[in-house]
Amino acid sequence: MAEAKREHPNRVVAILRELAVPVISVAIAMVIGSIIMIVAGFDPISAYVAMFKGGFGGGRQIGETMLRATPLIFTGLAVAYGFRAGLFNIGAEGQLFMGGLSAAFLGIALAGLPRPLNIVIMIVAGAAIGAAWAFIPALLKAKVGAHEVITTMMFSYIARYLVSWLVTGPLKAEGQIPQTERLPVETTLPKLHEIFPFLVPSRAHLGFVLAVLLAIAVWWVLKYTALGYESRAVGFNPWASETGGISVSATTVKALCISGALAGLAGVTEVMGVHLRLFDQFSAGFGFTGIAVALLAKNNPIGVIAAAILFGALSAGGGTMQLEAEVPQKVILIIQALIIFLVAAEQISRWILGRTVRRGVEDAG
Amino acid sequence: MLADILTPDLFASAVRMATPIALAAIGGTISERSGIVNIALEGMMLFGAFMAVVGTTFTGSPWLGLVIALLSGMALALVHAFASITLRTDQVVSGTAINILALGLTGFLMEVIFMRPGTTDPVPRLTPIFDFAGPTDGVIGTMWTWINAIVFGYTPIVYIAIIIAIVGQWALFNTRWGLRLRALGEHPRAADTVGISVIRGRYSAVIVSGALGGLAGANLTLEQVGSFTEGMTNGRGFIALAANIFGRWTPAGSYLASLLFGFADALQIKLQLLRDVVRIPSQFFLMLPYVLTVIVLAGVVGRAVAPAAVGKPYEKG
Amino acid sequence: MAPPLIEVREVTKTFPGVLANDRVSLSLDAGEIVALLGENGAGKSTLMNVVYGLLTADSGEIRVEGEPVHIRSPRQAIDLGIGMVHQHFMLVEPLTVTENIVLGTEPTRGGVIDFRKARDDVREISRRYGLAVDPDAVVRDLPVGMQQRVEILKALYRGARVLILDEPTAVLTPQEVRELFAVVRSLVGEGLSVVFITHKLEEVMSVADRVVVMRDGRVVGETRPADTDMAGLARMMVGREVVFRVEKTPSTCGDTILELDDVHVLDERHLEAVKGVSFSVCAGEVVALAGVSGNGQTELIEAITGLRKVSSGTMLLKGEDITKAAARQTIEAGLSHVPEDRHRRGLVLDFDLMENTILGDHRLAPFAKYGVLNSSAITEVTRQRIKDYDVRTPSERVKAATLSGGNQQKLVLARELGRDPDLLVAAQPTRGLDVGAIEFVHSQILSERDRGKAVLLVSLELEEVQSLADRILIIFEGRIVKEFAAGEASDEELGYYMTGGGGDKLAAAPQEVVVSDGGSQA
Repeated sequence: MAEAKREHPNRVVAILRELAVPVISVAIAMVIGSIIMIVAGFDPISAYVAMFKGGFGGGRQIGETMLRATPLIFTGLAVAYGFRAGLFNIGAEGQLFMGGLSAAFLGIALAGLPRPLNIVIMIVAGAAIGAAWAFIPALLKAKVGAHEVITTMMFSYIARYLVSWLVTGPLKAEGQIPQTERLPVETTLPKLHEIFPFLVPSRAHLGFVLAVLLAIAVWWVLKYTALGYESRAVGFNPWASETGGISVSATTVKALCISGALAGLAGVTEVMGVHLRLFDQFSAGFGFTGIAVALLAKNNPIGVIAAAILFGALSAGGGTMQLEAEVPQKVILIIQALIIFLVAAEQISRWILGRTVRRGVEDAG
Repeated sequence: MLADILTPDLFASAVRMATPIALAAIGGTISERSGIVNIALEGMMLFGAFMAVVGTTFTGSPWLGLVIALLSGMALALVHAFASITLRTDQVVSGTAINILALGLTGFLMEVIFMRPGTTDPVPRLTPIFDFAGPTDGVIGTMWTWINAIVFGYTPIVYIAIIIAIVGQWALFNTRWGLRLRALGEHPRAADTVGISVIRGRYSAVIVSGALGGLAGANLTLEQVGSFTEGMTNGRGFIALAANIFGRWTPAGSYLASLLFGFADALQIKLQLLRDVVRIPSQFFLMLPYVLTVIVLAGVVGRAVAPAAVGKPYEKG
Repeated sequence: MAPPLIEVREVTKTFPGVLANDRVSLSLDAGEIVALLGENGAGKSTLMNVVYGLLTADSGEIRVEGEPVHIRSPRQAIDLGIGMVHQHFMLVEPLTVTENIVLGTEPTRGGVIDFRKARDDVREISRRYGLAVDPDAVVRDLPVGMQQRVEILKALYRGARVLILDEPTAVLTPQEVRELFAVVRSLVGEGLSVVFITHKLEEVMSVADRVVVMRDGRVVGETRPADTDMAGLARMMVGREVVFRVEKTPSTCGDTILELDDVHVLDERHLEAVKGVSFSVCAGEVVALAGVSGNGQTELIEAITGLRKVSSGTMLLKGEDITKAAARQTIEAGLSHVPEDRHRRGLVLDFDLMENTILGDHRLAPFAKYGVLNSSAITEVTRQRIKDYDVRTPSERVKAATLSGGNQQKLVLARELGRDPDLLVAAQPTRGLDVGAIEFVHSQILSERDRGKAVLLVSLELEEVQSLADRILIIFEGRIVKEFAAGEASDEELGYYMTGGGGDKLAAAPQEVVVSDGGSQA
């Protein structure tokens, strides 16, 4: 009994401790961001106010934030799952492109079939092709030890040129612009307010719900299944895993393919829910922002939802910021990079947290 | 048709295209020899490329632009060094952050300085050093055309890269600096126990690699293109890391491996020019260097051995 | 009377939660060999790392020739004439002997290393002290004993007057140990002083002039080998009477559990490490595989446990062919494995105790069903095992990394024995443990045997082999060269066979030692 009692406050402290570093990191990053803005001659306060308005200022804006958060949840989960298994899937962008490609292709091919069936088929197919795109780097990692950071990155470029070729050539729609044909309504994701009439109309689509459910599923897989257990074991200590009868190469391949599948879904939902077609620039670097999302979430799938919403809001608010405060949107990338630094270099935040908090945490832990 | 492709300027172009990759690859060699993975070379190159244009725009001198590019690469390298050596952050994560930072900084500053996204105004370039007149007729004329193109046809940084490769190779195996660098990446504690400062050694190696990354960027903008475009490094920093592995963590090897990638790049450009003859979509040629990188890594990694302590933060005591 | 060459006064050093050195004093005279004796964790290495400037003491003083000094870095220690040979060599393996020796104090001209001078200097000191090495050999290719010689030369090259040797014999063959002792005596003859850190009593008796014994971070006694015996030293070191032999009943051999027939195994460098080994282990007996480190034991164990491919031969576990089995199949076939390196192979240090407990059984009932983990079963079993195997921990939710070495090993045993295997393969199961934990591990191994299980034990410690084994197989250079029944052979006999003695068919083996030795003298 006494033991159980002691556990409870420990867990609360542990959760607070987990949250402290990300929260402080975001705060410091925004402070540094504002210094950069001041130096460049902008007013950071009006910039952040505009940004907040654009991200959370109303139902439509919140919808926009959800819209932008959707691909980031998928890519964030992709990168986080990889990290848990000791793999750095820096090429999520490429798997995302392949997912988008499959959706654009199937969206035309499946025209006329019932919408729910199409959605299921396109999601499964997109995940599969994302996994397939990660498979060769995974195999090279498992068999010859080729570093996945370089190989998945290279596959990213290959995917982009592949898409670039297809949208200018074989899959190009009529007209001047290099893009595929617009998907018919039965192969698209419905908007959230179409499903839930009480919501304010916005561009947010079913993909967001899907992403959140998937985040919970990934959390469950990591924590409560043998598959997730093996991934984490290999991520922490491949030698002990091997001794414990876990095939390190099989686990590596599985993990990177799962990661690829998750990234592929980002492309699928972007095509099915936002652009309704494929073109060269359909991803705003979601694969790379996914890295920041995963790191900020400390690779916790539930945390990924929160981190993605934050980055989604930054991106949704970025447009408003550029319009109203005339600050270039690119400053968001700088803030993103700073967040990665600060989260990764925990000591900085811990140092700022101060001795007292640290002591309290250590006593409790 | 083969004669249309295998012209002197194809090989000269290969050397030119190899130059930024080689400089970054040698930077990777030096950094990894000291024990620090530098996937931030992509970002350092990008930042260097941009700052070279900024420097040239404001000073009017591409040479000063080059110096500024060098310093800019070093500045980002200092950030990487601080994060990965002093704060012992995961080196790959820190490198990724720098790559994103470089994208953001160049994009942001572009709009602040040039008032628009996309591409900057053109700037004066660094021009080829030599300008020899030679015979044009007969066999001798043909030979001269080849020699002139392949040996004398380059801009300054191309030669600088070659010199760095040769001198770096010699220095790595013959100087005190080289011996200590090799020790740092293999067994930093051993170096520490004989009084070599691991921290200082690694900082300087990472900063040198940043300078080389910046120089690579300057080559892109001041010699190859003449202006800066967002994201123009296009994965060359990552290809450089593959070249470093293929070159077995030596400066000369990195250079030679980069020539392979440079050749793929040059071939790609050549084939695009001949697209009326060679009816293959240009995107497939553009993929060439990336496909080649994967093939090289797949084939070579098992046999190439990285410095033993690379990627591991050093903690005293 | 001249002040001692080195004098350590009241040095205290703490690590978070550990008092490693508690007001330790020690002195060393010129031309003296002092053995610093103590168990693992007694604080010997900490003390010497303080003297060498790798660690800084919290309080206390060090004097060199009577002068108080502050040694804050190895560089300063080197300048004061102190050299140290670490337990884990501080050698850069891909570099040559010369490069390693001059590293940090390279003879240069304008930054360019004068390799000719460096090589000459190395030859000169190696001649002066009778430590033959090939200056151009790459360190990675040298045998361990030769690498140690390079380490000693490194210190001498820097003008060391005092040489600290940290557990220098741990990695050596008995032949190499004899050579090392000869070297140490000749160095002392040249006027050097030596501090010899060890936990092996025989070594103290044969080489030291004076013995300082440490326990729990304190100096607990000082004596001369002539004034004491092994039992007396052991008592001082451990703090109570030590039972050198474990009591056990005679074994009863049941069915054959493990059977190896002409097994060959390659090592990482694709050289044959195990060259045709055949033996069997039956239910209810402990078979010990005794040998000097690096004679193929590691590769053989990895092959049996499914971690390494067998190049030829067959292995049967309870009659089932496990020659090509992966680790998972061997576990399912009834094999448990206590690995040699528990941090690397035994535990996932970042996992909590529950997660470590199910490693290897994580896909089986009761821990998992259809690939979904059963948390309540995992918690329950873990708690039970923690109790059964006396793992001292605040809760089952803490990371394995937070446990002490002994408790970590108990956790490994809890997992591996809790599985109720038919065969236990235990590789150096007591390495680095304190006496209490060693006794626990030994009693667990014997109780497995008494319950009719088969045990294959790999050990470098003759004491452990002698006290636990029912049969002893001597492995040398990848072959089983001799078999003894329990109590049949003395330590000396075991040592003789372990180092390649006996058997004409092995003529090639000892020669190899001579070749590698002679080659370096050239």
